[in-house]
Order: sequence, then structure tokens, then C-alpha cells
Amino acid sequence: MQSRMHPKYYLSQEIFDREQIKIFRKVWLFAGLTSLVAENNAFITRKIAGIPVVIQNFKGEIKAFENICLHRSAPLQQGFCGRRALVCPYHAWSYDATGAVKNIPDCEAIYRFSADEKQSLKLREFALKQVGSMLFINLSTEPMAFEEQFKPEFVALMESAAQSFDTEVMVTTWHGKFNWKLVYENLRDFNHVKFLHAKSLAAIADFPFEAPIQADLALTPLEDISIPGLRKAMRPFSYGGPEGKIDAVRPVPWLNMVERWGTEDAYFNWLAYPNLHIACGNGGYSFTIEHHIPIAPGQTDIEIYFITAKKKQPYAASYQVLLSNMHYSKTILTEDIDMLEQVQSALHIDAPIPTQGAYESTNRQIERWYTELMETEHEI
Amino acid sequence: MKSRWVVGTGDYLDLAYHAWTQASATEDVQKITVPQGADYEFDLSIFDTLHPELGDVFIAVDDRFGNFKRMELFRVALERGFTLSSFVSANADVASEAKIGKNVFIGPQAIIGHHCKIEYNSVVHAGAQIGANSHLRASVWIEPGVQIGSRVEIGTHAIIRTGAIVRSGIKVGKGAELGWPQLYSADIADKTVYDTRYDEPILVYGS
Ligand code: FES
Ligand SMILES: [Fe+2]
Repeated sequence: MQSRMHPKYYLSQEIFDREQIKIFRKVWLFAGLTSLVAENNAFITRKIAGIPVVIQNFKGEIKAFENICLHRSAPLQQGFCGRRALVCPYHAWSYDATGAVKNIPDCEAIYRFSADEKQSLKLREFALKQVGSMLFINLSTEPMAFEEQFKPEFVALMESAAQSFDTEVMVTTWHGKFNWKLVYENLRDFNHVKFLHAKSLAAIADFPFEAPIQADLALTPLEDISIPGLRKAMRPFSYGGPEGKIDAVRPVPWLNMVERWGTEDAYFNWLAYPNLHIACGNGGYSFTIEHHIPIAPGQTDIEIYFITAKKKQPYAASYQVLLSNMHYSKTILTEDIDMLEQVQSALHIDAPIPTQGAYESTNRQIERWYTELMETEHEI
Repeated sequence: MKSRWVVGTGDYLDLAYHAWTQASATEDVQKITVPQGADYEFDLSIFDTLHPELGDVFIAVDDRFGNFKRMELFRVALERGFTLSSFVSANADVASEAKIGKNVFIGPQAIIGHHCKIEYNSVVHAGAQIGANSHLRASVWIEPGVQIGSRVEIGTHAIIRTGAIVRSGIKVGKGAELGWPQLYSADIADKTVYDTRYDEPILVYGS
């Protein structure tokens, strides 16, 4: 059957902007790892849905603010992460844990702000939610409850895994030339594994999937298009668990150096709509976090974090374990990225509409919801 | 005749073996491959047949696993009482007062400036240039033709690949890998990896 995904959804800047406002500024999004902001004054900076954000530790309290100084708009913190009080480098205004201006040097002498004016100066704050050692952010002024977006069993399993993350983190970013939605259509499609990854992933793991006769192919329009209805419809888009069968994990020495999460020899995957994928390909010894950041209709940054389960004790070569795993993940991911870039490069506004089969029912449900949101005034 | 056992694996073992063969007419130079199992662990039984009274060992394992594999064999040989003399090519230009540690390899046409310190188990390949007063810590790997300025400090286990130029006065953190062929003109944090297959450097935070 024909997909609802017209090529414009992957090509149009206007639709990209609408997605940013109607989805990315409304939902909970992955924002980083607590291990990067573990100490007083430690911070990370991000650009999320076009908004520069600083996540900063104030004596143990982790807060998220817009990373723009209220004086003359300089970024308060710079660089991916660091450790520094929240003080603007331009004219040294400083801010406290509530986002209020704490001190303005020479305030009386040269600015002459009234007490009221000074008190009204407050950074825009964003809601944060901690799940194990992962941080999620919501940019909305009235954020929906975290539980409204994600099913409790999904959160519970992800939290349990994220509690076992080690504090040594390897991270890098790849610049993909494709639309962010292509990644998730691909991640929800196990059918490609045995073809695209014939020599790599398919050689070590098996992802059984089926096309149930009763599959909901989302043929009819969404019934409940109220705000709660659209939120409810979104909830099943995030799911995860032991999805793949793997051969027994090959015994390499580093496995003994970490406290394994769980005992199941399986390939674990978590997909958190819209743009987070966590994979654990070795039954709980290490985790890859893939965070896909939409940059433009045909551009997506793939931020990759690699972590093992908690180390039993530090050892000198642990970063080399992360690096060899990173290189291995990269070989598989490159196969996906190359294909998605090919798909994107072939797209044009009159390109044929994709044809989907029964096994693609999850994608069809997401696309029904997505097109409803894009084409109407309805909101989440 | 004393033996010179060149022990290790891979292309670098070959290279070191040939270098030693050409350099020493008075020794019986032998190449010994140490097999690595499916778990990447070395089979160390070969050491049981070698004795420090009968010769010396040179460890030749490349930069695999961030030079930790070379370090592993180096430690084994040290524990077993070998001297682990360094190899300096007759065609290298090494300042006379430069300090060269155990099991260091310095290839032909390499230039080591005055007052340099090259710590144990490091490898400086052919044609690399190390400016005066620079300090390479242990188990570093410098590829052919790399240019390093003066007063540069290179942390343990760092890897500098062909095409890299390191400006004078720079500190390269331990475990860093400078694999992008470019000029590096700012200090490099520990464990930062510039790998040509990646769009951005790979960074490590925490421990
Ligand atoms: S712009 Fe921040 S203090 Fe002036
Ligand atoms: Fe794939």
C-alpha cells in the first residue's frame, strides 16, 4: 500500500521548521549524560530544536537554561562540556541556580537598573528529567508529563539499563546527509539487516520479525485528534527490549572488568521517539547511545556515545575498549548511513511515493500521526 | 654468539627484524612471532625458551590497542630479566645527549633534536623529526615523516600518524591519536582521537 510520506516531508525547509515547533519543541528529548555534569559547576551545552541550551550543575542541582546572556546575548557557556560557574564571558553578569541574575559588576555605577528591573532578569528555564544516568529535556513552556510520552515499562527497562552506565564516556558526532526521519524508518525495519548488513551485523545477530495478519496498518484516519489523544497515540512509538538473538558473547578480557547489566544474552534496542536510539549488542556489557539531531531537511547530526557497564575498578586501557567498540559500531552504522544518504540524494518533489508492506505497520502508524500533525492545526 | 630475539607480531615485527639484522653482524638475530588468540590475548609460552644469559629481547608490536599490546610484552620481558636495549638506526640523526629509554625504536632518517627525551617502549619511525627539548613519554608511536616541533610533550600511549605536524610547545595528552593529516596547534586533551574515518574528533570524558 502507498505510504503517507510524500517526498516533501524529507525535502521542505518549511516542513522542517514546522516539525521543530510542533514536535521537537513539545516533546521530551535526550539531552546528555549525568556523568558529564556530575560536579559542581560542570556543564554541557547543546542546541536543541534551534535553541541553545546550557545544562549546569549548581552544588548538586542540575538545571537547564537558555544559553543566552540577558545583557547582550552572548552564550554563557561555550564548548560541548566543561566546568565553570555560570558567568557571562562578555561583561561578567553571573546567574544563580534559579536563572536569576546574581551579580552585575558595577551595576549601580554604569547600568543604573531599578531594583524591579534587576529582579525581572531571569534566564528561560527548561524542564529536565533524569532517567538513570540519562537526561531528558523539554523545551515547552507547559511540558507534558514524561509518563505521557513514554510507557512505564519502556521507561523502567531503559532506566534500569541507564543505571548501570559507567562514568567513562566516549563521544563523537557524524554529519549525515539525510533527513532525520529516514533513520527511524530504518531502525524500525529489521528486514534490511540480512541484506544491508549481510557480512557485519547479520553474521552475529538475528532479528526475528513478523508481519501479523491482524497488523494495524493505519488505513483509517486517527480517531482522537485532541491534544491528549495525539499524545496517547504517540506513546507506543517508543519501545525497547531484547529484540535480537545473538551468539554467546565472545569472552574477551574486558567483559570481566565490568558489572554486567542483567544476564540475558540478547541484542537490546530502545527507540525513544523522536530521535534517540540505544543499542546494547552484547547482552548488557556495553551500550551505544545514538542521538539524531535534525540540522536541516537533508542534514542530521548523529551524536554517538559509547559506554560500558560500570567498571569494577578503573584500569588504564579502558578507553581503548571503548574505542575498539566505537570502531566496530561504526562499520555497521556506516552501512546504514551510506544507504540513507543514497535514499536522500535520490529524493525529489515528484519522486514516487513509497510502497509499504504489512511488516511496516509501526512505521505506518507513526506516519499517520506525523502527517496529521503536519497537515492540520492540531497540537500535542 | 649472542642472540637477539625480535619478538612480537605484524608488519612492525618484520620491519624491526630487518633493521636489527642489518645493524648487527655480531649477533644471531631471530624473529619470533607471538600468536594472539581469538580473545586477543598473547600466548606467552615462547618466553620459556629464551634466557637472558644467552641474548636480549626486542619487543616489536605495533600500535594496536593504543600501544597497550606492545607494553604488555615489554613488561613480560622486563619481568623475565631481559635488558631490552633500544634500536637506533645508523642512519638516524640523534643528538648525542638525547636520552633514549629501553626498547625504543628509532628508524632511518629520523631526526631527534638536542635534549630530547624518548621514554621506554616508544617507536619513532623513519624520517620523523622531533624538535629540540621535546619529551616523548612511554609507549608512544610516531609514524614515518611526522614532524614534531620543539618543546613538545607527548603523553604515554599517544599515536601520531603520517601527515601530522605538531607545533612547538604543544602538549599532546596521554592516549591521544593524531590521525588527521594537519597542523595541530593547540594542546590535545587526553584520549582525544582524530581518526580519518570520522567527521569529528572522538572525545573521552570521565574515568
Ligand atoms: S552579554 Fe553577557 S554580560 Fe554582557
Ligand atoms: Fe541497519
